[in-house]
Parts: sequence; structure tokens; C-alpha cells
Amino acid sequence: MNSGDAAGSSSGGSGDAGAPRRASRKPKYSKFTQQELPACKPILTPKWVISVFLLVGVIFVPIGVASLLASNKVVEIVDRYDDACVPSNVTNKLAYIQNSTISKTCRRTLKVPKDMKQPIFVYYQLNNFYQNHRRYVKSRNDQQLRDASKANETTLCDPEKTRDGMAIVPCGLIAWSTFNDTYTFQHNTNNLSIDKTDISWKSDRDHKFGSDVFPKNFQKGPLIGGKTLNESIPLSEQEDLIVWMRTAALPTFRKLYGRIYVDLKENDTITVTLDNNYNTYSFDGKKSLVLSTSTWLGGKNDFLGLAYLTVGGLCFFLAFAFTLLYLIKPRKLGDNNYLSWNRNSAGH
Amino acid sequence: MSIVQLFEVAIACDVVLCCRVAPLQKAGIVDLIKKRTSDMTLAIGDGANDVSMIQMADVGIGISGQEGRQAVMASDFAMGQFRFLVPLLLVHGHWNYQRMSYMILYNFYRNATFVFVLFWYVLYTGYTLSTAINEWSSVLYSVVYTSAPTVIVAILDKDLSRRTLLKYPQLYGAGQREESYNLRLFIFIMVDSVWQSVVVFFIPYLAYKNSAIDSASLGDLWTLSVVILVNIHLAMDVIRWTWITHAVIWGSIVATWICVIIIDSIPTLPGFWAIYEVMGTALFWALLLAVIVVGMIPHFAAKAIREHFMPNDIQIAREMEKSQDSRDANQPEVQMSTSTRA
Repeated sequence: MNSGDAAGSSSGGSGDAGAPRRASRKPKYSKFTQQELPACKPILTPKWVISVFLLVGVIFVPIGVASLLASNKVVEIVDRYDDACVPSNVTNKLAYIQNSTISKTCRRTLKVPKDMKQPIFVYYQLNNFYQNHRRYVKSRNDQQLRDASKANETTLCDPEKTRDGMAIVPCGLIAWSTFNDTYTFQHNTNNLSIDKTDISWKSDRDHKFGSDVFPKNFQKGPLIGGKTLNESIPLSEQEDLIVWMRTAALPTFRKLYGRIYVDLKENDTITVTLDNNYNTYSFDGKKSLVLSTSTWLGGKNDFLGLAYLTVGGLCFFLAFAFTLLYLIKPRKLGDNNYLSWNRNSAGH
Repeated sequence: MSIVQLFEVAIACDVVLCCRVAPLQKAGIVDLIKKRTSDMTLAIGDGANDVSMIQMADVGIGISGQEGRQAVMASDFAMGQFRFLVPLLLVHGHWNYQRMSYMILYNFYRNATFVFVLFWYVLYTGYTLSTAINEWSSVLYSVVYTSAPTVIVAILDKDLSRRTLLKYPQLYGAGQREESYNLRLFIFIMVDSVWQSVVVFFIPYLAYKNSAIDSASLGDLWTLSVVILVNIHLAMDVIRWTWITHAVIWGSIVATWICVIIIDSIPTLPGFWAIYEVMGTALFWALLLAVIVVGMIPHFAAKAIREHFMPNDIQIAREMEKSQDSRDANQPEVQMSTSTRA
């Protein structure tokens, strides 16, 4: 007797018990194992190709136009001040910025180019600052930030882990280097109040930064990296710190400083009194102050509108080109004259 | 007659019959061809005297039957009858070649696209190897996000039906001519992979360049873009859509989304809540749509051009099958015999 072949050895359903039939070794038939599942087999026909390109064009061009319109509506004032706020007689900028006895107050004048409707967002922008540096990004301890009982958890926070044997709260390079320039505004001649609440994510305030965690032992070392924190305010209310600790993705970034709830008119003058504390001079970084309105698209973003328009236009062009090609060189689908052994009479 | 002369005569013939051959000489004949050409050799036999020939050949087939099971135990494939060799080669051999070729090329493409996105980001982190995509998503990419579609398509996809392949044996030549896996195709797929990674990385980069975006949100956008793009690329190449194919491809995209949401709901990870924040912005959705479309345009255009203006035999046969299917659907079938099933 045969002892089975590679096809399997389950006995098939031989129903009748009467005649002495050899048990069938055929495996049970199923559509899946015999690869006969019902299927659709679409073929890319000229009709489909042209329709797809036209559809993409029809969708993308209006979105591109809407995006460009939204971006044009945004009014943005960008003022770089790190070079201008250092007195001209200073040659060693690094020593200047590190000298805590010199007053760093600087006045800047901004002109509003177009009407700006509230809320106006105030950002500080840093260039050439790599918050996405691997060592930097890892230098934090999220457990310590949210849980007061875990105050001594400082793993990965090197070199800002402990000071004088005691743990630093919040530890790590990110917290240590918090941005500490401050800005106050005057509109024409009136004081302009800036709302610094709710500038961070609510989820961060509620779940990542504990309301019972207080800064301890912070910025007590010889090198001050940035902002000093008020030790009586819990971390969940230190919004500048929270905003800063949401590390930016790219080396040029903005972070929200506050909001202004006053409309500004064209040609208004905004006077900014700022404290130029933050050291970007040792690595050629740039600091700028940004005031911006926003639309459904966010801030100023010409790129999106242009990209959509380009792609939409390209797709229309491709639809047109393909139509031409299909007219010049038509081919009947499934015509067996095109099979290679029919085409060359010599065959393969 | 020396062995070289035997070889040269044999190569010049269509068929060579050797009779009264000892087992070792059978192996020797196979070895003669194997050593002097780059062709694949196949040996089929049913008896104990065929074992050395079966083992010598690249593909050894044993017939289980009258003469016992020694041939079967030494073989790569075993069958019941000699005539099953025809569907083995023309049908299963063809399908296997198509599936393996596509799966290998697709695997390279899928992983390369992902890694190239990470590579472009490194250029903007001061070359410090920060990962654009968070570590959990990086691990899950190959395991959850994109593995099931690859496996299912590699198992289930058929380019042509059994009936067509048996009717036109010349279609087997596609494998012999290496039409589905060659250097040219590999280069194309790598170029496509680089293009798609450029699109996935740079379109969001240029849009978010001077903005307040944080690395977790942008990383989520990149994760979702890569997974959707890679799965849509696969969807464009699938030939036979069964319900399982639909389930795994669209299901993987849904599973990815769910995983990204879960990862961003763990408070101890630095990227906490990023996906919810970024999904609430219109810019995120606009960029996702733009990335998917722009990434797919070259592949789609190339596919349209290749399939219409430079069709190969398999493409023609697919179209013939489709018109045959619609004819069969309209006319009642005459009879069903087991040899023509599917």
C-alpha cells in the first residue's frame, strides 16, 4: 500500500459504508486552501487612469487655492533681536551674555503691517537650536515630573542629575536650558497685557506634570542654562517650562509665549521691552520675536497652498498627456495578437 | 566519445533519450548539464535507482507509486503521477515565481522607505541619530503595521488563472527570462523607495519648518504617512482582490492608527497626547493627503505606461482572462470537469 504522498493524509468524505472503497486521501476541499476564493481582478484601463488624474486635479486645485488664501490672510511680524540687542561696543558676546551684573534690557519697535485681529499669538523663535539632539531629547525623567514620590528618579538626566548629593527636580538638560527671555509690550503708548495662561497642552498640565511636584535644587550649579523656577509653584503651573519641554522637531522652531486679546490696526507701533537673557551666542543661534494671527490652517504657510496647486496642475497635465498618448497609440485590451509568440512569427 | 562532446551534442538537440542507464550515470547526466550551464535542472523519477539523479538536480521530484517511497523521501516535491508535472511547473511554478519575486522586491521597498525617512531626519538633528519615528512604532512597523499584507499577498495573489496557464504554456517563459526579478526592477523599486521617502519626509518638513511643531506630533505624521503609502503601493500591485486581501491591507492601516493612538496615550512616554493634538489641526490632514498622492503619482504613472504601451505576455493574458470571465458570466457554462476547475 502506498504510505501517503505529500498532498496530505486526511481521509476524504466517503459517505457510503457499503462497498469496500479505499479511503480517499484527498484533503478536504476549501476555497481558501485551493486558492479559489472569489476575487475581483481590476485592470488599469485608460478610462481609470485619466479619471484618477482628473479627480486628483479637481480635488487638489481648490484646496491649494483655499490654503493660499488662508495663508495670505495671516499677518505675521518677525523681529530678530539677538544681534541688535547686544550693545555695539561688545566684542565678546558670550562673556556679555554670561555676565549677570549687566542689565540685558533691550527695547525694540515693531510696526504692524496690516490689521491684526485678536487673538494674536506671541512666539519666540530660535534658529540653529537642536532640541532634537539625541542626547538632549533623552535628558529628562518623565516619572519624576508627574509624581512627587518619585522625586529621586533621575536616570538618563545626566549631567543635570544631582547637585550636592540631592536630586534636581526637574532634572535633565531640557529643563535646565529653559528659555528665559521675557517680553513686555506697549501698544502705541498703552500697556498691552499678554495672557500667559493656557499656552501649554492641557494634557501635559493634567497628566505629565504633577500638581504636587515642586522644583528643588534647580539651577543651583555654576553654569546656569536658562530659566530659574519659582520653588513654590508646582510644575503643572509652570507653563513656560511645560512648553519648553515639548521638544521641537526641527532645528528652527517657535514656541508659544502668550496671547494678546487686543486688535491691532495697520501702522500701529508696538514697543517691546525684552530681557535678552538667553545665551544663543556660543553656537550662532538666532532669537526672534514673532507676533502672528492664525487661520484654520495655522500660521503663515505658503508652502501648502503652492504644493497643492502644483500637484493639481501636474495631474491635469498628466491627464491631458495620457489622453493624447491613448489617442496616438491605442491598444485593444486582451487582443491576443500582442502575445509575444503571435507577434514575432519566429516565436520565442 | 568524451564527456565534452556528449555535452555539446546534447545541447544541440531538443530531446535526448538515454536508455539502459545505471543510477550513477543518471546523476552524471544531470551533473553534466548543471556544471556546464547556468540552467536549472529538474529530475523526476519513481524508483530507488532515481534517487541519486533526484538529489543531484536543482529540483528533484519523486513519484510515489508502484516502486515504493525511496524516490519520494529523497525529493523536494512528491506527486502521485508523472502527468502532474505539467501543472506543477506551469501553474504552481509560475505562481511561485511571481509571488516570490514580488514579495522580495516589495520587502526591500517597504523597509527601505521606512529607513530612508529616518535617514533624512538625521540630517536635521545635527547628525545625532534621533529617530524621527518613536521607538515603539519603529518596532511595531515590521511586526504589526506592514507584515500581514505582505504575507497574505505573497500567499494568495495569483497573476493568472490555472486554466490560462495550462492553455498557454509559453507563459512559463516569463520565469525563464527572469521577467519578474532582475536588476532593472530592483533599481526601479529602490528609486521609487527613495522618492517616496523624500516625499514623506520633506513635504511635512517644508510645511512645519518655522512652526511650533513638536517631535512627537511630526513623528506620528511620518509614521502614518509611511504605513499608508507602503500599503497603498501594495494595493496598487495586487492582482487578485479577495476579502482577505482587503481585510489585511485596510486592517493594517486601521491597526497602525490604533497603535499610534495607544502609544500616545501612555503618560510616561514623552510623546503623550501628541496624536490627539495634531489630528485636530487641518494642516495634518492636508499634509497626509498630499504625501499619499504625491508619493504614489510616479508609481501609478509608470504602471499605466508599462501596462498599456509595453504590455508583457502576462498582462495580455490577464486582459484576455477578464474578457473571458465576462463572456463566461453571460453565457451558461457547458460542463465542469475536474481538470479545468479554476
